[in-house]
Amino acid sequence: MTVKMEASAGGIPHDTVMAYGLIGSLVGIYLTYLNVLSGTEIFSFFGGLAAIAALVWGANTIKHLCSYGLGTGVPSAGMIALGSGAIAMIFASRYGMLAPIVAVIVAGILGAIVGFVSNKIVNMNIPVMERSLTELSIVGAMSLMGFTAMLGGTFIFDEMVAGTSTFLGFVFADYGMSIIGGSTLAVTFMLAAIALQHPFNACLGPGEQQDRTLMLGAECGFLSMIPIALMSFAFISFASAVIALLVSVAGWCWTYVQFIELSKRDAYAWLDAKPIHEPKGGE
Amino acid sequence: MSALGGAAGGSEGFSSPIGVGVGVLLILVSLGMAYYFGQMATVIALIGIIVGGLLIGFGVHFVPVGGAPAAMGQSPGIATGVAMLAAGAGLAGLFGGAWAAEFGFAIALAAGAVGGALMMAITCFMVNVVYIFAMGVPSASGKVDKDPITGDTFPEYKSQGTEGHGLPFVSYVGGVVGGMMGGLGGTLIYIELLYVYEGVLPVMLDAGVEEIMPLAVSLAGIFAIGMFLVNAVIAAYNIGGTIEGPHDPKFARWPRAVIGAAVASAVCGIAAIMLVMV
Repeated sequence: MTVKMEASAGGIPHDTVMAYGLIGSLVGIYLTYLNVLSGTEIFSFFGGLAAIAALVWGANTIKHLCSYGLGTGVPSAGMIALGSGAIAMIFASRYGMLAPIVAVIVAGILGAIVGFVSNKIVNMNIPVMERSLTELSIVGAMSLMGFTAMLGGTFIFDEMVAGTSTFLGFVFADYGMSIIGGSTLAVTFMLAAIALQHPFNACLGPGEQQDRTLMLGAECGFLSMIPIALMSFAFISFASAVIALLVSVAGWCWTYVQFIELSKRDAYAWLDAKPIHEPKGGE
Repeated sequence: MSALGGAAGGSEGFSSPIGVGVGVLLILVSLGMAYYFGQMATVIALIGIIVGGLLIGFGVHFVPVGGAPAAMGQSPGIATGVAMLAAGAGLAGLFGGAWAAEFGFAIALAAGAVGGALMMAITCFMVNVVYIFAMGVPSASGKVDKDPITGDTFPEYKSQGTEGHGLPFVSYVGGVVGGMMGGLGGTLIYIELLYVYEGVLPVMLDAGVEEIMPLAVSLAGIFAIGMFLVNAVIAAYNIGGTIEGPHDPKFARWPRAVIGAAVASAVCGIAAIMLVMV
């Protein structure tokens, strides 16, 4: 028994969304490099915005892939995306300035192979499988790299493994205090995966509209940015982390209001039910 | 069929010969790269990773997955998707194995297998408690008339219009076996990567083994989780939704998932190893 997946046709063409997502995420990640050029960590929040560009693109890809009956539920697509994307992203981070571009290439290769395995060896025979898993793998790598850049202000391996701790006034190297050594990647992984798999899973059905699904994608992305901004207090300067937090909260509030507006637009009827008032004094 | 015009995926029959051929070629290329960039120990580590992936891909087929219909008591199995269930069992095993890593290879693998099996045993038990005492449905399989292990008969307990409900004994055993294999496979990937990183990272970063341990553990852990999820989802695509356990006719599809998991593990594994080799 498979659940019927319904998705709307029309809206912005997928190739356009893909172009915006890919370019937006690459530009966003490279903007965090302004940190190095300016000697500050103020520009870290661009990493989060890059991740959101990738996640919105990913939500549209998942919509295309999951409108075929996969039979396994929408979240599995988010999991395989981040699973292969995480491997590509960490591998690519070794290449310094070229890391985001190498991440796109390596994630593309991994995704294409996983798509080939799913279609030709596991016999899924879904026409968009190879392309969708290639895109999703890139989305996974870019969202993870974006969030990591936001968390620590860098996407370069040598800086991600470097950490310091202070003991009795002396500062010394401590790999356990670094982004990778502190295992923050595991949290980032899940935050990105949840933001990627939720939008279409929540919006699918007869009244699905592309702009509402993508707005929910952006909303989930900003929601994931908030914990990343909180975690970044441990790795970047206080002022930079406050800016990242303000951007995340402001972005989330705006996208949330927009999403509710779109939901009201698409709803058949809307009843603004007030909370039930408890009588004072109990009973 | 969907609004976008796509038909349901998944089919019976064995993989296409071209697919298997290209898959074997990819595994051989990965092994060759491991030998070229490392040495024999790297090749053995990659083989360990591939075997771990095989175990995950095979083990997932044992786990009774019911999906949404199971939540309504309309089909047997645990009421969630394959990917979530496999991730739960595998990660529980992985944590067990990672904790025991310092006690040696065999104990770590055993701890991983026991961790995964324990997680599934508890899940299956609580699922049956909810089915029997909260929803009030008896355990009955829709795919077979008799439990292959206990010999209990099912048709007289099966409600009309359903595909069976609850978690029969054979599905429970399948769940535990699947959890054991998943935990074992996940731990094997983790341990092999940990040994590689423990060997290379001190040279690369010019630091002591004790100092780089947080890095090695974290990297091996995140790669093991990533590979686990890739293998589990490939197996989930192979099952195509729901499976009752080892007695389900869909169980016979396992060779496809095992080949697929081997190819995916080899490619992902070589990326994880090359991180520190190049």
